[in-house]
This record gives sequence, C-alpha cells and structure tokens, in this order.
Amino acid sequence: MGKSLMIVDDSATMRKIIMRTVRMSGLEFERTEEAGSGVEALEKLKTGPIDVVLCDINMPEMNGTEMVKQARQLPTCAATKIIMVSTESSEDLIKQVMADGANGYITKPFTPEKFQEKLAPLLN
Amino acid sequence: MITTVSLKDALLDSAREVFETMVFMALEGLEDDTTNLGDPTLLGSITFKGNLEGCLGVCCDEACARTIAANMLGMTSLEELTDNDVSDAMGEIANMVMGAVKARIQNEVGSIEVSIPSVVQGRELRNSLGEGAVQVKIRVNIEEQYRGEFSLQYREGRPNDVP
Repeated sequence: MGKSLMIVDDSATMRKIIMRTVRMSGLEFERTEEAGSGVEALEKLKTGPIDVVLCDINMPEMNGTEMVKQARQLPTCAATKIIMVSTESSEDLIKQVMADGANGYITKPFTPEKFQEKLAPLLN
Repeated sequence: MITTVSLKDALLDSAREVFETMVFMALEGLEDDTTNLGDPTLLGSITFKGNLEGCLGVCCDEACARTIAANMLGMTSLEELTDNDVSDAMGEIANMVMGAVKARIQNEVGSIEVSIPSVVQGRELRNSLGEGAVQVKIRVNIEEQYRGEFSLQYREGRPNDVP
C-alpha cells in the first residue's frame, strides 16, 4: 500500500518547495496533503492516519513544537513519523522537539539528498 | 563580542549557501557597490531578539525577485508566478538566511529568537533600528544578471526578550 505525506508550513510557497524537493529525492507518496498551520494539521490528522508529516516550527497561530505534542495525543498519529523542517538549528531545540515526539529533523536550507537520507529509513 | 567583520562574513556565507542550495543561482559579493537596485524593490525582513537584537533584510528589484521565486519553485515560465509566490519566496529567503546566520554565530552570541518574516514592496526601502544600532550591509551580484542587498542591523539585546 502506498504511503501518505502531509506538509505543514504557513508559507504556501515553502509547501510547494518542500513538495518539489521530496519528488526530486526520489521518494514516492501515493497521497499528499498540505496544512497552513498546526491547527489545520491537527484537524486533518484527526480524520485518519498519515504516514509522514513534514512540519515547520516557526508558524503563527500554533507552532510546530506544540503541534507535535498535541499530535502525539491523537490515536490516529500513533504510527505517524513526524519530521521537523526548520531554519532553527539549536541543539537544545532539536533535543526538545525530539523529546516531544518528533522522529527527525531537517534544517533549511535543504537538498533532495537530505530528504532521502532522513525519510527513506522511516518509510521502510 | 562578535565583530562586524565576522558578521559580514557570516551574512555573505549564509546568503551564498541559501542561493546555491535552494535558489540554484550563483551569488558573489560586490565591493563598494552603491548603484540603485532599481524600482520598485521588494524587501524581505525578519527580526530577532535575545543576546543580540535587530533585523535582517534582503532587497532586490521585482525582476530579480520573480526569478528567485521561479527558481525556488522549479517554474520555467515567470508568467505562472503569482504576486503571493514572489512575496512568499522573499520572506523565505530572509528566513533561511537568518537561520543560517544564527547557526554560524550562536556559539559566540548565545540565544537568539527569530520572528516570522515579512515582505514589503516600494521605492528606496530600508530597515532602521534607530540610534545605537550597528549595520552590516553587503551588495551581491546574482547570476551576473541582478544586484541584491543583504543587511543586518543589530545591537546588544536583553537576554529574556522574545520577538
């Protein structure tokens, strides 16, 4: 069965760029979704499982760290792999968001190779 | 304390990294360039607070901004671009360059928190922090076709400030 992907970022342009980079990485997803905020992402995640979520951290309304915490309370997200995609690169923040339930971290600027390296092991 | 020389290097290296990785355009620093960037220009800005507080800006003319956005999105035709795509792309450039600068200086200056980027369009745009601020500015040649400017204005901040 094909995998599903959700991209969470308040910038529509960045969502398109991430989608393009995922395609360039060679990773294939049968279903893709987008959300413009942590709140919208949680609403979508409540309706059914998603295999992989790529989530920005620095967003208005609800930031990515809060979204991860709340997503981990949802029964539909038990097996979801959540990867943070952010310009933030401080070790403390990365440790904190991993402790909150994220499965990985990709810093911007990124390359297709970086997506391949971080996502491929989680998809097998 | 961090010097303007090391900040200038961090700013140029960060801008180069972002352009090579995400925009797929070569970027070179220009010495003593004071030519007009063209009108109208777009200015993407992002503020930061913490041990250092201030604002990072990236500025270029509309034609350059549209090419940057098209390259980031992998579009072959500029006509497909919306104004929102162009504005968003400039904001993301400011965001990513700020993130790359922060990664380069955080061992020296410690904690910095970054805001959400904003973009404005107009004539002779520039950020200003007022008196007491230090400014680092670099002019760049983008793909030997466009001129752009990256600026960083800052002063020592109060550690517990949040944007």
